[in-house]
Amino acid sequence: MRLAVIIAAVVALAAFPKLATPYYVTLLLPALAYAIALLGFNLLFGYTGLLSFGHALFVAIGAYGAAVMSSKLGVKSFELILLASGAAAVVAAVPVALLSVRYVRIFFGILTLAFGMLFHSFLFKFYDITGGDTGIRVLRPSLIGMDFKELDKTSFLVGPFYYYCLVLLVLAGLLMWRLVHSPFGLQLQAIRENPRKAEYLGVRVRLLRFIAFLISALYCALGGVILAINTGQSDPELAYWTHSGELVFMTVLGGFASFFGPVVGAFTFVLLKAELMGLTQYWRFVLGVILVLIVVLFPRGLAGLGQAAWHKLRGARP
Amino acid sequence: MDQKRRKILQALGGTGAVIAAQPYLSFPAFAQNAPLRVGIIAPKAGIAGTIGECGLRGTQFAVDRINAGGGIAGRRVELIVEEETNPKDSIERLRKLVLQDKVDCVQGIVSSGVSLAMGAVAEEMKALTIFWDGTTQDGVKETMVNPRYVFKSTDNECEAVMGSLLAVKHWKGKFKTIAGINPDYSYGRNNFAAFQALLKKFGIEHTVVADQWPKVGTTDLNSHVAALKAAKPDLVFSSLLFADLPIFMRTAHGAGLMDGGTKFVFPAAGFQHTALKKSFTPAGMIFGHNTLYFDHPNASALQKQFVREYEDKYKDYPHWEADRAYFAMKVYQAGVEAAYKAKGAWPNQEDVINAIEGVKVESLGGPGMMRKDHIAEQTFYQGITTHNNRYDFPTLATPVDVMYSDQLQKPTGMDFWKWIETATIKL
Amino acid sequence: MTAFVDILFGGVFHAAVLFLVAAGLQLVFGVQKIVNLACGSFYALGAYFGISAVNWALKLGLPPQLFLGVLLLAGLVLGLIGPVIEALLRTVYHRDEAFQLLLTFALVLMFQDVLRFFWGANPQQLGDLVMSYGKLSAGGVIVPTYNMLVILASIVIAAGIGTFLQRTRFGRILRATAENREMSQGLGVNVRWMYASVFTLGTVLGTVGGALVVPTAAASLDMPVELVVEAFAVVVIGGLGSMRGALAGALIVGIMRALAIRYYAELEMLAIYLVVIAVLIARPVGLFGKPVE
Repeated sequence: MRLAVIIAAVVALAAFPKLATPYYVTLLLPALAYAIALLGFNLLFGYTGLLSFGHALFVAIGAYGAAVMSSKLGVKSFELILLASGAAAVVAAVPVALLSVRYVRIFFGILTLAFGMLFHSFLFKFYDITGGDTGIRVLRPSLIGMDFKELDKTSFLVGPFYYYCLVLLVLAGLLMWRLVHSPFGLQLQAIRENPRKAEYLGVRVRLLRFIAFLISALYCALGGVILAINTGQSDPELAYWTHSGELVFMTVLGGFASFFGPVVGAFTFVLLKAELMGLTQYWRFVLGVILVLIVVLFPRGLAGLGQAAWHKLRGARP
Repeated sequence: MDQKRRKILQALGGTGAVIAAQPYLSFPAFAQNAPLRVGIIAPKAGIAGTIGECGLRGTQFAVDRINAGGGIAGRRVELIVEEETNPKDSIERLRKLVLQDKVDCVQGIVSSGVSLAMGAVAEEMKALTIFWDGTTQDGVKETMVNPRYVFKSTDNECEAVMGSLLAVKHWKGKFKTIAGINPDYSYGRNNFAAFQALLKKFGIEHTVVADQWPKVGTTDLNSHVAALKAAKPDLVFSSLLFADLPIFMRTAHGAGLMDGGTKFVFPAAGFQHTALKKSFTPAGMIFGHNTLYFDHPNASALQKQFVREYEDKYKDYPHWEADRAYFAMKVYQAGVEAAYKAKGAWPNQEDVINAIEGVKVESLGGPGMMRKDHIAEQTFYQGITTHNNRYDFPTLATPVDVMYSDQLQKPTGMDFWKWIETATIKL
Repeated sequence: MTAFVDILFGGVFHAAVLFLVAAGLQLVFGVQKIVNLACGSFYALGAYFGISAVNWALKLGLPPQLFLGVLLLAGLVLGLIGPVIEALLRTVYHRDEAFQLLLTFALVLMFQDVLRFFWGANPQQLGDLVMSYGKLSAGGVIVPTYNMLVILASIVIAAGIGTFLQRTRFGRILRATAENREMSQGLGVNVRWMYASVFTLGTVLGTVGGALVVPTAAASLDMPVELVVEAFAVVVIGGLGSMRGALAGALIVGIMRALAIRYYAELEMLAIYLVVIAVLIARPVGLFGKPVE
């Protein structure tokens, strides 16, 4: 049953460019990007129980990776860019993870926030290398070697690029699904439930947290690459701590206790924010109120609501 | 009705001839036509919120007048305002304006980072865009060469160049050691670098004894001022322009940095001019007001009216962002009306773009034009501060230094540093 | 020599301000185990409200010399929002800390627009009021008297909190509750009321800090998100949950920053991050922190 829903969703997403106006399709690109990023983020948060307030750092690494590779190193291949940016994020994640996974819970959140801002300062200050507050241009990549020169940027984005990213999301999702249902994933959940007990049972808590951190960094960077190509520019604000906060917001909005929650959250948040920004100048306030409602009333997010509604429909409630 | 229009146009015309005024009189009234939709993207919150606010007021002033006069070539102007935040979100707003709202023109943008990203996207989307501010330079190197759809404001270094020229003119031979305290981002870096390049050009021997780069928006500048004091500079150059400027002024004054005859150059002081109170902002400093000096005695009737209305409505005095916004709207109006006149029918975007290239307008702050390479030329105002006025903050002593930007920014296609080296820049 | 004293003084002043905010953070964390991302928002609120209060008082004819009192009062009065926010937070006490953190993040979002709604986009200043107290000069070192007063105020507050925690009955109960909430409750402590008071106290520290500082600085819309970073650096260095840590961390951050600005201006904020990382490697729980399980 769940499979049917997923297939329907993918088909709907694939059909979207044919049905919707170009503006909304360009909106879906960040949604796809965040969906991929959050799949990784939730591995760390939902499955391992570590809340990071600095993961925008890895999204930024993805973005700057795409920028440096396309405009400074002249690499046009999307595949190479993804690979290189992902690798850069993992490499950067190593020291951060090493220092952070010693701690848990609140301290982990504070530390990751500090690291994120450290990177932000670095991006801002070393403007000779990073372009400072202006950032670096991101040029259009080639997809599987094809340039699509005949298409202008918007057509490229809502056409081949959109489908490529959709495929990426599906692949990333499949990979993550296997991961969380593997022994690795089960051990992570055990760590989240009771670290001491898990340790006692032979689970190598620190090592697994470390690995989960690296994987989450990788996914975030991939999302960052897509974001950067969509925007055409990488800028330091991508690493700011409030952007990390948005990542958490999206995950919780969708539901961190469900596999698909983050994906739902990404799409909902991107569309919601865009509509709100057009409706009122006090959109930050409205978003804040929504977050309060979720945290207080609907902690399992939209996915949780969906599941509850589904159960009710089926009469499976005791 | 025609008499009223004529009066308004005379007020608009001011001291200079306005190409837009003459053709307008011969347009038939298309009151039933669909309105012209202009999208405005300006910051509303955060550190640039106050800048966006002032700019929007300038746009509103322009649009009110245009619509009172029957609109642009007979069509009313309708504004759709979106918020400028970071490049990623601002580009989404641009896409919405162009793809969804189908605006005829996009205007706005204050931040350099956003303008660079947005410029590229606007070009790709073939959307006519007129920037208020920001810059599409990497340092001072142009990164958006030969734009077709995007029109840019004057280069960022104009005020730095003018401030430096004034420093040389007034204080040559009176300073040997210099210190800089500039905001730590591209604007601050460019400004200070330009200052030093100009000192070199005029053969002024100098040593940099202190070089401060406070993070943008820092509210505690005590340590920076202490460091400057310790270095004992003869001249301090500062392109601080946000809330940190009045804080610096107050802190420096309180710490005695201004007691020793130190000279000060503030090329961007105009942004915060009303917050720089007389009690801690002495006379004798070089202040830059960019393209709008609200208290200029020789200001056009248009500017005087704008300042009056602004003071009545907002209990404040405008700074140059209002002029930049006004300029953008006027440039657009001028282009559309000229294209309409030439074609005899409603112009398409290509016609408008061609008409805007080379167009001259009368902005709030004085005459300006749009170069063929899509960079604006405007009139700049700087001068020495004086306490001799009716306000609680200093203004500029007369005569105010007025320079047209063609003496302050690099000509088409030239490299900034080369231009400084080779051009004959008169003081 | 005078230069060095100048620099030191600047550093101590910065530390004094940071201490007030950090102390609020530490107090709330120590007892309730909540990290309040909205600490910067309270600080900004104190700053804006302080300006309004002073302007209003001056208009009513208050002599300028008394404006410090008005600021203190403004900060204290704002503390009234403490119980309101705490009531909101109460709904998630029993939940995972992640939710508490998220709730405070929601507050940050909301406060940003609240500030803009009431005070507009223009940065607000108190002009030259800070000069009403004149300057102190001793041998070439010139310092505004007001800055000295702020430092003294911080010291008094620090001493006050210390005494309160160590010597008073309420303070002892507070520390006990921080150590072991269940036991405290079992012994008859009204934990609910305690939490509300502690949170209010933490809020007041933030709002008073903002109000006290605003004459020398300005109130602007980006304060809420900017301050959080420095406050967190202080807390990491000093150790989460420790008052002494707040003091030590604030001093270290303030003085390091001042020294960096003087001798290696390019570093500034980065110097602080480097210290944070160094502390993390050398002594992970911070200087005065207690190991967490």
